[in-house]
Amino acid sequence: MATTTLAPRARTYDRSRVYEWLTTTDHKKIGVLYISTAFLMFLVGGVYALLIRSELAIPGLQFLEFETYNQIFTLHGTVMIFLFVMPMWTGLANYIVPLQVGAADMAFPRINALSYWMIPLGALLLFSGYGLGGAANAGWTGYAPLSAREGIGIDLWVASLVLLGTSSILGAINFIATIFKMRAPGLTLMRMPLFVWNTLVTSVLLLFAVPVLTAGLVMLFIDRNYGGGFFDPALGGNPILWQHIFWFFGHPEVYILILPAFGVVSEVLPVFSRKPLFGYKAFVFATASIGALGFSVWAHHMFTTGAVYLPFFSFFTFLIAVPTGIKFFNWLATMWGGQIRLSTPMLFAMGFIALFLIGGLDGAFLAVVPFDFHVQDTYWVVSHLHYVLVAGSVFGIFAGLYYWFPKMFGRLLSEKLGKVHWALLFIGTNLAFFPQHLLGLDGMIRRIADYAPNPGWTELNFLSTVGAFMIGASTLVFMWNVFVTMRTPADAPDDPWDANTLEWATTSPPPPYNFDALPPVRSERPLFDLKYGAVEPRAAAYPAAAGETHEETRADAPEEVLGEPVEGHRDEEGEDRPEATPQVSEEAPDARPRETRPTRDEIPPPPEERR
Amino acid sequence: MPLVGLRPLPSKVALLLLLPAALLLAACSGLPEGGLPVGNEHPPGFFPVAPATEQGERINSLYPVVFWIAVAVFVLVEGILLWIAFRYRRRRNADPDQLPAQTHGSNLLEIAWTAIPAIIVTYLFVATLDTLAFVENIEPEPQGVIIDVEGFQWQWTFRYPNEGLSFTGVGREGPAMGIPINESVRIRLHAQDVIHSFYVPQFLYKKDAVPGRVNEFDITLRQPGTYRGQCAEFCGLAHTDMYFTVLALERADYDVWVEESREQPDEETPPPDAHVIEVSTPDVNNFDPPDLTAPADTTIVFELSNTDPSSPHNIAIVGAMEDGSDWIGLPLADAGQTATYTAPALAAGEYEFFCSVHPTTMRGTLTVGN
Repeated sequence: MATTTLAPRARTYDRSRVYEWLTTTDHKKIGVLYISTAFLMFLVGGVYALLIRSELAIPGLQFLEFETYNQIFTLHGTVMIFLFVMPMWTGLANYIVPLQVGAADMAFPRINALSYWMIPLGALLLFSGYGLGGAANAGWTGYAPLSAREGIGIDLWVASLVLLGTSSILGAINFIATIFKMRAPGLTLMRMPLFVWNTLVTSVLLLFAVPVLTAGLVMLFIDRNYGGGFFDPALGGNPILWQHIFWFFGHPEVYILILPAFGVVSEVLPVFSRKPLFGYKAFVFATASIGALGFSVWAHHMFTTGAVYLPFFSFFTFLIAVPTGIKFFNWLATMWGGQIRLSTPMLFAMGFIALFLIGGLDGAFLAVVPFDFHVQDTYWVVSHLHYVLVAGSVFGIFAGLYYWFPKMFGRLLSEKLGKVHWALLFIGTNLAFFPQHLLGLDGMIRRIADYAPNPGWTELNFLSTVGAFMIGASTLVFMWNVFVTMRTPADAPDDPWDANTLEWATTSPPPPYNFDALPPVRSERPLFDLKYGAVEPRAAAYPAAAGETHEETRADAPEEVLGEPVEGHRDEEGEDRPEATPQVSEEAPDARPRETRPTRDEIPPPPEERR
Repeated sequence: MPLVGLRPLPSKVALLLLLPAALLLAACSGLPEGGLPVGNEHPPGFFPVAPATEQGERINSLYPVVFWIAVAVFVLVEGILLWIAFRYRRRRNADPDQLPAQTHGSNLLEIAWTAIPAIIVTYLFVATLDTLAFVENIEPEPQGVIIDVEGFQWQWTFRYPNEGLSFTGVGREGPAMGIPINESVRIRLHAQDVIHSFYVPQFLYKKDAVPGRVNEFDITLRQPGTYRGQCAEFCGLAHTDMYFTVLALERADYDVWVEESREQPDEETPPPDAHVIEVSTPDVNNFDPPDLTAPADTTIVFELSNTDPSSPHNIAIVGAMEDGSDWIGLPLADAGQTATYTAPALAAGEYEFFCSVHPTTMRGTLTVGN
């Protein structure tokens, strides 16, 4: 018969694991790809940092020449910002946000895969400068007209950033659609976990800021290759225009790098203090207003250009201290009176508060315009931005990685090694970056390969180098931790931290379709309510559902962790994307009436049913 | 991209020729061989460099206000954090079912820690405006000395339009700028190629030199002394070496300095049998041709044609003087100009030549032989 020559439609393909990872549209796999790529780039950027610090350990040029040095610090900044911190947050959000909103995947899974695969391509473009006549060498800020005059590395840098920016825009649209359209029933905006809120605000910032950078980069490319004259005064252009464009992107970018860390800390502190977040609404308000104010302060990077209206930008820079202050005190109040467990994620979150505070206070110093005149472009600013990005973003990233690692890989990272990692990173960060404050106050400028042997400068620079190598050592400890942990059996419990949010209501790691059943959502802590008796257990809250399910996967799971199957989940490779949001009835017959929820300041009754 | 190394630099001769020796010997004595000169005797600390200007003094008096507020906030937050970490640690034998009080918030507290920071930053903003108005104040018609500062890759030119003086930096020290103390001096910043930034740590002040734009500021120096400045805005390859010196002088000393600076070095007439070498400088990285040859024991005349539109250049030879110091061709050839330099006769051997404006990037080998 003719039909025998046709492949049967329902054949299950025997795909290799490599093929599966290369073609996946599963948000969790894409998340892991993002995170591993970003971590690899963290290592590359870290090697650049160690090269810089080794050269600066003592005065004089030891082993780097000017041109090499300039390329190294340009790529250090570009790699750390565009290829490490941004993809790392996108990766964590990719994995966690759909789980936290109770969705089966992102809104646009194929676009999600596309935005990931632009990242390695962008990295390739950036590094290809090494083989084509020198990498970019105008600093990560690429100030025109310098960037219009240097070599081909800048063209590749421009192309790379346009690609990475497009990836970010697509990712941002995907997150916004997921968060607005795919939340579980009952998960109103004001019940969303703070990490979801911060991802939402970050995505909005990306959507408004990145196109501006892309436009600027295209203008720079035209200036470089076709004599555009946007930034060339001889052709009627203006070099200051580049700075306005760059920083109109660049300052919101700072919040793009730090807001997700605020989100992680706001997730971790309540769990490890066993208390709800203090002032949830204030947090949401502060996050949104930081995002909005982030667009009104860009020219505080340009105080010394003599071309901006100083009081306006000074005022709004000061103003940002207010919502940031709210966050700090609300975090402290969240922990106050709690039962603090100093597990590794909590240590990183508390380390974040302790050290990001320094970066934040530095920000208030810089808003004092006359003081900014002194320290602009000195090591004081280098110290400030590293207290924001290392003590802020990196501590937040590691808090998130330690916190969600068991969810992603079904294994708990070693606490012992985790604490060694934390201690090394904490001491290393302070040793590396605090002395730079003092150097900047004394007038040591940044982006120089050599410095004068002024009294005290050698000692402080050497200390800073020692700190940088401690940070490097701490990263090795983390990698060893991951290596050792991945060789142990995947036996982490579903909810190892006694956590509050939906991602812990499924298996570790979750099945491809994420949830068999969702608990009812009646507050920002659905799992807490479930465990501590505010609502009935989830199984009772679910209607039985019909339709295709993953029978094979379900068969492997122990009976008791599975609720009833959820409608709408099909093969992850299937042509029909599922509706993704399980249809859960708000008015489930057995759900406890709303009035019995514990009210503010009331200790809920001892739980009757704990798993 | 050319990869440049850094070798021991000729410096003392350049200073002796261009500047009044007496004023700079002190600075030179701190020169380590091949390294950057010490420019700042102030040891680093939690407070800025001791200011040398009236404007810097105002900035310096604003700093402690911000500093102590920041210290107070720091101690408060870190103190609470440590207290929480010790006081509220979960007890080992704690009942796992016993939850702490589930406080969701407190309007009173939250309003307090919104309002108090708002008041503090409003105060700081007002203080900022006050200092800013003083620091950025500019007289409509400058009465005193006017200095036009021009930054280019990677040196400075200081022009005194009223005195008819012009200094361009050579070597890693750069040019010197004489300023009379206790007088308001107008500094006008220009840039030829890319953005530079005029920064003297002891001024507690910097301002960018932007192509296509003139930035101006007034400054009144209080303390006589020698201060080192540096370009603060990354400007390409040799940004590290873009130094200059400020000489803060009493009015009488300043007048002497102006007179001495007017004296130009004597022009030498080359002997007729001199060997003539034509060399051009197309950009800030290269000589054309990159390597030169000359006969031994013959006076060498360089006809330097500066074809680089953006920067002055010259030619200098390492260790060509009888006392072992470097021979330096002066004055500099400005952008698009030509200059003729007469170098002493050299014994056979290999010599290194360089542009003393761009000593780290423009270097070549001069082979002297028969």
